[in-house]
Amino acid sequence: MSVAILLLMATPAHAGEEVLGADFAELRGEASVEAILFPEDPLFAGQEHNSLSFAIEPTGILEWNSVDNLGGADVTATVRPFLRVDTQDEERTHFDLREAKVDLRFGDTDVTLGSDIVFWGKTEVDQLVDIVNQVDGVEGTDGEDKLGQPMVAVRRIVEVGDFSGQASAFYFPYFRERTFLGEESRLRSGIIVDGDDARYETDAEEWTPGFAGRLAGFYGDVDAGVHIFHGLSRDPAFEVSRTTVVGGQVVPTELRPVYGRITQIGFDGQYTSGATLWKAEAIGRFDQRNLDFEREDYVAAIAGVEYTLFGISESNADLGLIAEYAYDSRGSRALTPFENDLVLGARLGLNDAQDTSALLTAAVDTETQETVLRLEGERRLGDSFKLEIVGQAFLNTDDASVTNDLRDDHSLRITLSAFW
Amino acid sequence: MDQSTHTGWAAFIIRTRWLWIVLGLALTAAVGMGLGKLSFNPDARIFFAEENPDRIALDRFEAEFAKDDNLILVLNAKEGGLFEPEILAAIGDLTENAWLLPHVRRVDSLTNFQHTYAIDDEMIVGDLVPDPPNVTAEEAARAKDIAISRPELVHSMIDPTGRYGSMQVMFRLPGKNPETEVPTIVAEAQTLAAEFRAEHPDIELRLTGSVMINNQFAVSGQDDGKSLTPLMFGAILLIVFIAFRSLVGVLMTVSVIAMSAIIGLGALGWAGVALNSVTVLAPLIIMTLAVASVVHVLASVRQTMVHTTDRREWARVALDEHGAEIAVACITTAIGFLALNFSISPPFRQLGNVVAVGIMGALFLTLTFLPALIAIIPIKRREALASTDRVMAPLAEFVIGWRKPLLIGMSLLVVVLASGIPRLSLEDDFIRYFDERYEFRRDTDYFERNLGGLNMLEYALPAGRSDGINDPAFLAQVKDFTEWLRAQPEVTNVRSLTDVLQRLNMNMHADDPAMMKLPADEQATAQFLFLYELSLGYGMDLTDQINIDRSAMRISASMAEATTKDMLALDARAQDWMAENAPAIAIAPTGMSQVFNLIAYRDVRAMLLGTVLALIAISALLLLILRDVKLGLVSLIPNLIPAAMAFGLWGYGVGAVTLAIAVVIAMTLGIVVDDTVHFLAKYKEGKRQGMTPEDAVRYTFSKVGMALFVTTFALVVGFAILSTSGFAVNGDMAKLTALTISLALVADFLLLPALLITIDRRETMNAPATVAATLAALIGIGALAAPSPAHAQSAEAKGLAIVQEAERRDLGWGDFTNDGEMILRDAGGNETRRIWRGMNLERDARSGEGDWSVIVFSSPRDISGTATLTQAKIEPSDDDQWLYLPAVKRVKRISSSNRTGKFVGSEFSFEDLGSQEVEDNTYRWLRDEACPGGTGLTCHVIEGVPKNARSGYSKRVTWVDATHFNQHKTDFYNRRGDLEKTLTVTGYQQYLGKYWRPARLDMQNVQTGKSTTLLQSKYNFGTGMDESDFNAQRLPRLSR
Repeated sequence: MSVAILLLMATPAHAGEEVLGADFAELRGEASVEAILFPEDPLFAGQEHNSLSFAIEPTGILEWNSVDNLGGADVTATVRPFLRVDTQDEERTHFDLREAKVDLRFGDTDVTLGSDIVFWGKTEVDQLVDIVNQVDGVEGTDGEDKLGQPMVAVRRIVEVGDFSGQASAFYFPYFRERTFLGEESRLRSGIIVDGDDARYETDAEEWTPGFAGRLAGFYGDVDAGVHIFHGLSRDPAFEVSRTTVVGGQVVPTELRPVYGRITQIGFDGQYTSGATLWKAEAIGRFDQRNLDFEREDYVAAIAGVEYTLFGISESNADLGLIAEYAYDSRGSRALTPFENDLVLGARLGLNDAQDTSALLTAAVDTETQETVLRLEGERRLGDSFKLEIVGQAFLNTDDASVTNDLRDDHSLRITLSAFW
Repeated sequence: MDQSTHTGWAAFIIRTRWLWIVLGLALTAAVGMGLGKLSFNPDARIFFAEENPDRIALDRFEAEFAKDDNLILVLNAKEGGLFEPEILAAIGDLTENAWLLPHVRRVDSLTNFQHTYAIDDEMIVGDLVPDPPNVTAEEAARAKDIAISRPELVHSMIDPTGRYGSMQVMFRLPGKNPETEVPTIVAEAQTLAAEFRAEHPDIELRLTGSVMINNQFAVSGQDDGKSLTPLMFGAILLIVFIAFRSLVGVLMTVSVIAMSAIIGLGALGWAGVALNSVTVLAPLIIMTLAVASVVHVLASVRQTMVHTTDRREWARVALDEHGAEIAVACITTAIGFLALNFSISPPFRQLGNVVAVGIMGALFLTLTFLPALIAIIPIKRREALASTDRVMAPLAEFVIGWRKPLLIGMSLLVVVLASGIPRLSLEDDFIRYFDERYEFRRDTDYFERNLGGLNMLEYALPAGRSDGINDPAFLAQVKDFTEWLRAQPEVTNVRSLTDVLQRLNMNMHADDPAMMKLPADEQATAQFLFLYELSLGYGMDLTDQINIDRSAMRISASMAEATTKDMLALDARAQDWMAENAPAIAIAPTGMSQVFNLIAYRDVRAMLLGTVLALIAISALLLLILRDVKLGLVSLIPNLIPAAMAFGLWGYGVGAVTLAIAVVIAMTLGIVVDDTVHFLAKYKEGKRQGMTPEDAVRYTFSKVGMALFVTTFALVVGFAILSTSGFAVNGDMAKLTALTISLALVADFLLLPALLITIDRRETMNAPATVAATLAALIGIGALAAPSPAHAQSAEAKGLAIVQEAERRDLGWGDFTNDGEMILRDAGGNETRRIWRGMNLERDARSGEGDWSVIVFSSPRDISGTATLTQAKIEPSDDDQWLYLPAVKRVKRISSSNRTGKFVGSEFSFEDLGSQEVEDNTYRWLRDEACPGGTGLTCHVIEGVPKNARSGYSKRVTWVDATHFNQHKTDFYNRRGDLEKTLTVTGYQQYLGKYWRPARLDMQNVQTGKSTTLLQSKYNFGTGMDESDFNAQRLPRLSR
C-alpha cells in the first residue's frame, strides 16, 4: 500500500505542464528512512532497543496569476501531506497535512485559507513566540517539527516611514493536539502520555477558536515583531489518568494532556550589526497551567548573540558561534526544559557544492548543571540524496532533573533522504 | 484593496450574480441548519465562568452543604391570620402536595416545623402542627405563639403578626436536562398553586425562590425574542422605507439582515452552545448592525440611479465606492464584539462571537448577495436626487463658523459629562434583573416587603477540626456572630443552628427558660444534636447546616430589598466584626447573591484588557486605512469620548448599572468607529484634492453627512428597542449602547470637524518655512552634483565618466524577472547544478540604496524553495539580507558583512553577485582596445579599486565596449595583487529597446582551476512588481 502511494507520488513533476489551467504546477517531495541507535539498554519496560522508520512528504503546488474572477488575485494552492511509518511505535506511525491551503494575493494583501505552518521567532535554541503550530512531538526531540494548523490568515504590507513589515491577523477555527511517543519509543518520559485521551477546559474542545495578531518587519538594522494570541495553549498541562498500586503506594502510570485557554503577548527582535546578530524573544502568557497543574501567569525570555567568522583559515568555511540564555519566571514549575539555561553552540558551514554543515550545541541548566549535548551534521549526496546525522547525549542527569528519564537515551539518529 | 481590484471584484459579482444569489442562500441554509441544534439554558449561573473564583467558592460551599434550588410559596390569609384551624389544614394539605413535585428533596412549612419541647426529662421533637386536618383553635393559637417566638422563623417563614407565611420546597436537580428540569417544576408548581387558590379563595398564594428566578431567565429571554423581534423589524422597515421609498429596497434589506441573523445564530447552534437570556438578543443586534451596511449600499444606489438606467451599474458603483468602507466598518465592529471574549461572563463571550459571525455574514451578503439582487430585481428608478445638501450644508457652515466655541464648549461638555463616571455604582441584584412587568418580580417584591429576604450571604464558619462544631468556644463565637448579624438593620433573618442548640439545652433541662443558652460542654452538645437528629422527620436532617465531618457550620443572613452596595457594606462590617471579635471563624461569604455582587467588579477589570486590545486593533486598522498617523491619532478622540460621555451621563441620571457596563465600551467602540472612518476618509480625500480644511469639511458633510445620520439613527432606534427588554442586563447594555452611539454622532458632527480644522490650520501656517528649507537643500545638492568640465580629461575622470555612462544607460529598467542556472565544475571536471528564479527591482542609487533582488532556488531538490532577499546598500554599508528556509518556514535576517564568501560553493563571491554601484569604487581609465571574444567592438579598459577595505579584491580590470557600454570581461586581483579569477560575459541581448542583459557568465579561477558558469535566461521586464514584492515578510509567499 505504501509502495503504491510512493509510486503515485513519485510520478515525475512536469513543471509548466497544463494542470487545471494553472500558470505553474509542480509535484516534488522527499522520502526518507530513519534509524535511531541507542548504545544503552532501555530504562523503562516496553521500550524497544533501536528504531527504524520511513517517511514520505510530497508537495503539490498549483499557481494561477491574476485570476480575473477573484479581482485579479494571484492564487497558489499547496498540498503537503506527511506520512511516517514506524516499525515499532504505532504512535509514531502518523499522517498529517502539513500544508493544504490556498494563498490569495491582492496587491499588498495576502489571504491564506487552510492548513499551514507559520513560523515566528528569532532565537536559535527555542522560539518562545512561535505559537501558531502545534508540535509534532513524535518527530524530533527539538520541537522543530510542527503539525499543520487550519487557519484563515489575512496579511497586509505595512510601510510607515522607514519601517517596512507586515501586519497579520489569524483566525484558527480548529485546534491540533500534540502527538506523544508511545510505549515502545525511547526518548520519552517514564510515565506514558496518552495524547488521544486529551481533556479540554473549554466546552467547544478542539473547536475552540483561536485568534492571533502579529506585526513584524524591520527598521534599519533591527528586525522585530510583536504578537498577541488568544486561544487554546499549544502546551498542554498534564494530569494523571491512570494509576496502579505498588506496595500500597498509588503510582501514576499514565498521563493525560489538558488543554486550556490562554492569552499571550510577545516580542521578538534581532539587531544585525555586521557579523554579529543580537537576538531576543520575550513573552507574557496568562492562564497557562504549569507543571503543578495550577494556572500561572508568567513571563519568559531568551536573549543571545551569534557571531560568524567568515572564511576561517583562508577557506570557504564559515564558523558561527552562538550563546543564548533562556529564562522562565516559573522556574522548576515550567513546562519547558529551558527555564534557566545557557546554550552554547557552534555552527560550521563548509559552503561547498554539497552544502555540508554541522551544528554543535550544549544546553546547560545553570542550577542543576544538567546538560544536553547535541551534534547535527548534514551533507548532500549527489544531486538528490541527503544524509543527516544527529547525536544526542544527556549529562549530569540527577534524580530531580527534567532529563532524568532520558539518562540512558544517548542516541544517534541517521536519516537518509531522497528528493525528487 | 486598491482601486483596480475593486473594479474587478464589483464587475465580477455583477457578472456572476446568479452564482452569488445561490451561494448566499446556500451559505445561509448550511449555517442555518445549526438552528436545529439550538437549545436554551435557563440557569442563572451561566453568568459565572468556571474559572470565576467566586463561582469556585460557591461550588465548594454547595458541595459541602447543599445547593439551594428552592421554591418559596408565599401565603397570606386575608383575614385573621394564618393560625386558624382551616387555614392550617390547608397549609398541611399544601405541604403534603408539595412533596409530589418533581425532584423534591425537602419541604419546610409551618405545619411540619420541627418543634422541640420537654416532657419531664424527656425531649420531644415533632411537627409544630402534628395533625393539620384536625387541629383545634387552641392548638392553632399555641402554634402561633411558638412560631412567632422563634428567631429562625420570623421574617422568613412567618411575619411577626402571623398574617404572612411561607413554605419552602427544596429540590435536588439532576442537572441532566437543564432545559426542561426547571420549567417542569415551575409548571407543576403553578398547577398546584392554581388548584390551591381555587380551593381556598380566602388565601393568597404567590411563588418565588431560585427555581422561579431560573425560570424567569428563560421566560424573559423568550419574551425578548418574541416581543422585540416584530418591533425591530417594523422599525427597520419604516426607516428604510422612509429613506428610500422603495418596497423592493425594504424587502432586500429584510432578506439580508434576516439571513445575517440566521448565520450568526446557526453558527452558535453548530458550536453546540445553548442560547441564554443574553445571547437571545444576538439576532436583533446583528440585524441592527447589518442594516447600517445595507443602507450604505442602498444610499449609493439611490444616487447612481439618477444618472443611469443600468441596474447593474447601480450595483457596481455601490460596491466600488463603498465596498471598502463597509468592509472596514464591519470588521471593526466585529473586532469590538470579539473583544467580549475577555469578559468573565460566558454569555457575553458567546454574544460577542455570535454577533461577530453574524456581522461577517452580513458583510459577505452585503458585498455579494445584495448587489446581485440589485442587478436582478428591478427597483423603481427615481430621477431626482434626494436633496441631502440642503440639510447638511447649513450644519457644515455652522460647525465651521462656530469652530472655536464648539471646540471649547464640547471639551467642557465632555469633561462635565465624564465627571459623572465616579457616580456609577455597580449593582447586580440578580432578582431585580427583571422589571415589574413580570409576575415573578412582583411576587418577589411582595415576599420581601412582607416577609423576608431572598438575597442571602452564606457564611460557612470553620471550626478548625472534625467535630469542631461541638466546641463550646466555637459555638459561643457563632452565637455572638448570629446575634450581631440579627442586630444589623438590613438583615431580616439569620438561620443559625445555635438557636436550635440553645432550645435543646432548655428542653433537656425540663424547659427551664433560664437554660435557654448553649450547652455547657462539648459532650452535651454532641449528645443533644444526636438525639435531635434521631427524632427529625423525613428529609429534615441537618446536612444543609453542618458539613459532613462537622468542621463547619453554615450561617445564612437574608436581606430584603438589598442592593449590591448594601450587601457588600454589610459584609465589610461583618469582616471587621469577625476580625475583632472572632478571628478564628472569620471567613468570606458566598452564595448566589455574593457571586453576582462581585461579578461586575471582576468583569470590569477583565474587560479592561479586552477593551484596550480592541482599541489597539481598531486604531491599527484605522491607521492602515487612513495611512495617516495624525488622522489616526485624531480619530481616537471621537472613538473614545462617546463612551466616556455616555457613562458619565448614566452616572448622573441613573447611577446604578449592572455587569453589562463592562462590555459596553468594547462593543460600542467597533460601532462608533464606523462613522469616524467614513468621516475621516472623505475629509482626507478632500484635502488630497487640494481643498482647505474648511472646504474639506463642507465636502465631507455633503458626501457622507446624510448617510451617517441615517445609519446612526437606525442603530439608535434598534438599540432603543432592545433597551425595552425587561431583563436589566440586556436593557442596560442596549441603553448605554444607544446613548454612546448617539453621542458619537454628536462628536463626529460637532467636535471632529472643529478639531480637524484647528489642527490643520496650525500646520499650514508652518508649511512655507518647510518648503523653503527643502528647496534650499535641493538647490545646494544640485550645485554639488553638477559635473565640472575642467577635470574631464584625467584618466580617473575618464574612468569615472565611462562607468557613469554605463550606469546612466542602464537607468530606468524598473524591474525584471529571469531564470538562473549555475554550473559548478571542480578541477576534475565534475559538475553540480543550481537552478533558481530571480526577481529584480531597480532602486534610486541617489537615496543611498542599491537594487533589490530575490532568488528562489528550485534545484538541487533538497534546497528547493530556499530563497534570499537582498536590499543592497551603497558601500561601505552592509546590504540588508534575509534567508527563507522552507523546511521550517523561517525567515532569518542574515549577516551580509561577508563580501568574500563564495555563493553556494561557486567561484562567484557574494561581492561579485551583489549590486554594483558606481560609488563603490574609484576608477581609472587604462586604455582602449578591441573587445575580447572577437565581437568587433572597441572596449574601454577600466581599473576599479574598491573603497571598502573588506572587499576581497585589490582591484578589478574591466573591458567595457564603447558602443553599448556593456561589460565583456573582468579580471579579479586578490588582496595580494595576484590575478585570481577571470569573468567572461557573453550573449548580450537588448530588452525594451534599451537595456542589454547577458545570457552567460563564465568565471574561471586561475589559481585553483575550478570554474563556474552562470546562465541567465527568460528575461522579462516590466512585470509590474513593486516594493511590496520585495518585503522580507513575504518571502514565504514568493518561495513555492
